Amino acid sequence: MTPSLPKLVKVGPPEFLHVLLDGRVIGAMPTDRIEKTVSHLRTLKLSAASMIPEDLEVGYVPISMGGAFPGLYLFTNPARFVRPVRQKFAPPKENNNIELIGPFEQVYMEIECPDGGSGGRLKEFPATHEEIHPTGILSVVGNLTPWSDHNQSPRNMYQCQMAKQTMGFSSQGINCRADQKLYHLQTPQTPIVRTATYEKYRIDESPLGTNAIVAVLAYSGQVYDMEDAMVLNKSSVDRGFAHGHIYQTEVIDLADEKLKSDRANKVFRRSTHDKLSHSFIDSDGLPYVGQRIKPGEPYFSTYNEASGVAFNKKLKGSEPVTVDYVAVDVKNKKQLTKANIRLRYGRNPVIGDKFSSRHGQKGVCSQLWPDVDMPFSGVTGMRPDLIINPHAFPSRMTIAMLLESIAAKGGALHGKFVDATPFSSSVKKSDEHEGDPLVNELGSMLTARGFNYHGNEVLYSGVYGTELTCEIFIGPVYYQRLRHMVSDKFQVRATGTVDQVTRQPIKGRKKGGGIRFGEMERDSLLAHGAAYLLHDRLHSSSDHHIADVCSICGSILTTTLIQHQKKVMREIANLPPGRVPKKVKCVACKTSKGMETVDMPYVFRYLAAELAAMNIQVKLQLSNGAAA
Amino acid sequence: METATYQRFPKVKIRELKDDYVKFELKQTDASMANALRRVMIAEVPTIAIDLVEIEVNSSVLNDEFIAHRLGLIPLTSERAMSMRFSRDCDACDGDGQCEFCSVEFHLRAKCIGDQTLDVTSKDLYSSDHTVVPVDFSDSGAGFENAEDQRGITIVKLRKGQELRLRAIARKGIGKDHAKWSPAATVTFMYEPEIHINEEMMETLSLEEKTSVVESSPTKVFALNPHTQQVEVVDPEAYTYDDEVLKKVEAMGKPGLIEIYAKEDSFIFTVESTGAIKASQLVINAIDVLKQKLDAVRLLEDTVEADDQFGELGAHMRGG
Repeated sequence: MTPSLPKLVKVGPPEFLHVLLDGRVIGAMPTDRIEKTVSHLRTLKLSAASMIPEDLEVGYVPISMGGAFPGLYLFTNPARFVRPVRQKFAPPKENNNIELIGPFEQVYMEIECPDGGSGGRLKEFPATHEEIHPTGILSVVGNLTPWSDHNQSPRNMYQCQMAKQTMGFSSQGINCRADQKLYHLQTPQTPIVRTATYEKYRIDESPLGTNAIVAVLAYSGQVYDMEDAMVLNKSSVDRGFAHGHIYQTEVIDLADEKLKSDRANKVFRRSTHDKLSHSFIDSDGLPYVGQRIKPGEPYFSTYNEASGVAFNKKLKGSEPVTVDYVAVDVKNKKQLTKANIRLRYGRNPVIGDKFSSRHGQKGVCSQLWPDVDMPFSGVTGMRPDLIINPHAFPSRMTIAMLLESIAAKGGALHGKFVDATPFSSSVKKSDEHEGDPLVNELGSMLTARGFNYHGNEVLYSGVYGTELTCEIFIGPVYYQRLRHMVSDKFQVRATGTVDQVTRQPIKGRKKGGGIRFGEMERDSLLAHGAAYLLHDRLHSSSDHHIADVCSICGSILTTTLIQHQKKVMREIANLPPGRVPKKVKCVACKTSKGMETVDMPYVFRYLAAELAAMNIQVKLQLSNGAAA
Repeated sequence: METATYQRFPKVKIRELKDDYVKFELKQTDASMANALRRVMIAEVPTIAIDLVEIEVNSSVLNDEFIAHRLGLIPLTSERAMSMRFSRDCDACDGDGQCEFCSVEFHLRAKCIGDQTLDVTSKDLYSSDHTVVPVDFSDSGAGFENAEDQRGITIVKLRKGQELRLRAIARKGIGKDHAKWSPAATVTFMYEPEIHINEEMMETLSLEEKTSVVESSPTKVFALNPHTQQVEVVDPEAYTYDDEVLKKVEAMGKPGLIEIYAKEDSFIFTVESTGAIKASQLVINAIDVLKQKLDAVRLLEDTVEADDQFGELGAHMRGG
């Protein structure tokens, strides 16, 4: 039997490898000399004297079984991602040993983390490069969490999510901006405890929180601090704690509107007849800057030049706004057709607003308590800005938050910022602080100022003036105000607009609608046997309707009201005209006999009408009570 | 039926008295009285603060509400506050600020003309009443030696061409309504501690152990007498009830070496004022307010309203 394949000669590893520069083959190089070359190239990359660019990517793909095609791939073209790492084999006399490496080459490089360990590397493949700092693995947002190496990792992830939702000081030039929606914290502070990255990226220019004095205790009788709720000090809020605004810019282009509807020219103009609107609208048809507008009040006015109709645009929503800024497009010099109106909504802390520390510990304000009711320290007289429940810690293991509290207290007492860069203890040269843990460093800062080593303090009840039974962990923690606020979310409805077709309440917060009481909710009420409530929610408070039904033909669609003659009722002197009895008649049976009124949901009538359109008749058989 | 009287006659001993700071002892009373006094000082002693702001021109970088809020927080000299009327109770006016019984009018006009940034401060506020003016911290001594720091409280900073013009009305109010009316920066009290050292037991300790006992307290409560080598109490009031010493003694296996009790009827108060009224006046006003509140309860005692207001408590007060 002959083999199906021709006999193959086993080929050894290639003696030469291709060398490519920016994707073009420029030659080949003996395999045994290539590693030396790569190493030499890397040295040349660092020296300023050589012609080799410092961002040269030396992608050496070694020979492997089943790996990528081997060769030396060099890249010099612009706009490639590069990142700095420290070269280990560089001569130590040179200060500059930072090499810029690219994503292609780094896969084939031996880069070590400078944590003192080998990272499980084999002796045969020693590290040629070293990361500058272990925090290199973290993103910009991740780098802002103090001592993130002391936190449970999911908490750091939550914080990275929440840092993006903070109400911060997003811009230095808010007065010149026209963002659709912009959240703004009025009273930001710089954190006492911060990472090295905080200064590197100059977060101080757009800070995102406030140093709040946080007491960790169950103080509100286990009610207002359940499930991550927290109690805010009302006086702190009075003094400006976490005050904020929302800026909202509305672009009004009347030329655009023209296309949609009529061809008429619309311009901003104030009506001379409507004197009432003059207190809201300036002579150019736009609002006064600094004006406070309540919902339903006009804030700009347009004039249709063709029809001569003036129109006042009224403010929607449920809360008053301030006109922050009005900008006008003057390209069309004769007439004003385009304007930006920036409105400002006040957003000071209220019950239901969301706050978070930098450790994924978010919570909702459940009460604003008077200052005097807050616990106070007998020594300093300090009252907390914020009370959180101790249950927030055991399961989440955000130790860094506790460290932050101690460190910030120490920092505040010494008038210093505290560096909280993660992994810094592993980078430290082992001979400096041998075995001196972080906590000792922080604790001694407190004892030096006569405070408890662990950050605890004896507090007195603000209500009774008696000493609390145990010492309380209290200290400043940097708190962020998150942009989820009740004022933007609450939904409430008693009665209101209903749907045209079904006569059921409409949905949607903006339109003043209700929240759907769906099938599962209905099932729940059924299971509870709460029949009356069910009837109330789904019928009486929804599309309750009294229909006239003809008991002869069983139809609800054929009944019609008879317009009766006005003279029928004779007026009796000194008596108000009595109510005219409603006369209904069935068009199909041509009689008023046998008319009955039946309670039903209005959608049922709609269903009957829809079915009728498909040639299906709905017949009702009426009976009285149990006699079916 | 004669009920036993629990009336006591509290005594006050003043330790330290400055314009914005008082330290005093309150003796022969209990925590309820001490705390009531503290609460009234913080939340119910009236002062005057800016409450209404009418902005004429504001081309500064801060928005109107922000400036109004900052104005509100400026402490104003409020010696008159106790005799003034709340504007809601004032019959002479309708709260428009033209009334001498309940309001004081302020004006502020500032415009930056030069290239230098202009700091608009509390000194730029012109009052219609010379008794109610922004608190001047420059003569209070500590910390304000620098001439530039004596410019008062910064309200806003203006650049060239920016202007701020406004009218503000200050009214009487209490800290319960808004913290800006609170005359107290800090009011706190502690129980006076009583520290007993068991000298016999102390004799059994080595010098090293004694030092460790002394050093265990983060505050300087104890000291080692260099001559007698005895542990002495140098400052009992520095003790913060942190139990550090007791824990240390326990850990050394010598429980009872040091015993500390809190005197139930003796309190050491520390009062710091914002400058709106003198700290001493703050204490006196607080006692007045507390008296008025008690009078209100006493007057109501046997009326029908008392039943509405206090319910069972009313009956209890009548001795039921």
